Amino acid sequence: MHIPDGFLSPQTYLPAAAIAFGAWAWAARGLRQSLDETLVPRLAMLTALAYGLGLIMLPIPGGTSGHALGVAMLALLFGLRLAFLAYSGVLLLQALLFGAGGLTALPINALAMGLAGSATALVTFRLLKPLHETTAVAVAAWLSVFVPGILVALALGLQPWIAAKPDGSPLFFPFGPEITLPAILVPHAFIGIGEAALTLLVWRYARMRKWVA
Amino acid sequence: MGGMKPRHALYLYLAVLPAPTFVHDPVVLALGLLVALACAGAERWRILKKSLLAILAFNLSVSLGYIAVGLWRGDFRPDWLLVANLRVLLMVFLGFWFVARVNLLAALAGWPGATLVATLAIGQARSFDRLLRDFRCAFASRNIVKPRWTDRRHQTGAQAVALLDKAQAQSTEVALAMRSRGAFDA
Repeated sequence: MHIPDGFLSPQTYLPAAAIAFGAWAWAARGLRQSLDETLVPRLAMLTALAYGLGLIMLPIPGGTSGHALGVAMLALLFGLRLAFLAYSGVLLLQALLFGAGGLTALPINALAMGLAGSATALVTFRLLKPLHETTAVAVAAWLSVFVPGILVALALGLQPWIAAKPDGSPLFFPFGPEITLPAILVPHAFIGIGEAALTLLVWRYARMRKWVA
Repeated sequence: MGGMKPRHALYLYLAVLPAPTFVHDPVVLALGLLVALACAGAERWRILKKSLLAILAFNLSVSLGYIAVGLWRGDFRPDWLLVANLRVLLMVFLGFWFVARVNLLAALAGWPGATLVATLAIGQARSFDRLLRDFRCAFASRNIVKPRWTDRRHQTGAQAVALLDKAQAQSTEVALAMRSRGAFDA
């Protein structure tokens, strides 16, 4: 669900960049202490998997693309801060190497997918784990796709109001939320099912390898 | 960009990139693209082709959607199409030009955390690509006749676990090499 460069107004991406830099600074605090030679290979492996998943994408007329994220598996295994940083790195590489997303759109993409996606997955998992662990992982993964989808759809859908010419014609993205919300959320409701299956696979692998208690 | 230090080229790229978002005149955006093409040197057409391919599917879907909705609402503005597509093309071109000229890891050299994650992620992405190709070839060589769906399912499951195991083993080696070079020292 990357937003590409050129569709977000400076009124959107500049404040988002300020928030994202604050969030990255918060997430990077104590990073050196938390990374060791046991954690780094696992993080690198799953970050690369998320990177690969994000590249298998289909364009959606609502202004973005449809693809699995892999952010839930990062969040459940490494926590919010590392997942947010790792996913931001994924978005940066995808933008620079493949033109998927972009640097001006990076703050919104990272905050929506990396931060909100991870936080949603973690909160959902913690709430549902006492009831049924497998369901908790699956629902957390599904929501980790759906909630960022809402945020991305709103960021795009608000552009006609945020930046328009005096005659009302759009300067950046032309469609309002009445188009972006269904266009992004309907495909991602299905993509979320695939994300849930993938996250369960990785979760079981992590259990098998005793990465999680 | 070619003779610059990677870090300076990164700063220049970050400074120039937002400029097209402050321009809403298609002529100025087209001029910007022409200047970028002129400065990009011998690789300009390869970078332009790569940029066009990268934005093709996405911009086509947005543009066609815009045309359809605009015509339906009786509010179709062709100048928006021109501005939006030129702006996106220019920004993507600048990104690919930067990556073609500058070593990303060298540009990130002053930020150890970013270098660490980028080194590992780029290395892993390349390993995954190679491993998947190996697995595909091995599977094809073991099946003289067309494999059944059950075979494919078993192969996919085995491949996924082996892929994760092998990727972890490889990144462990990278992490140990980085440790021996002091990457984890406080």
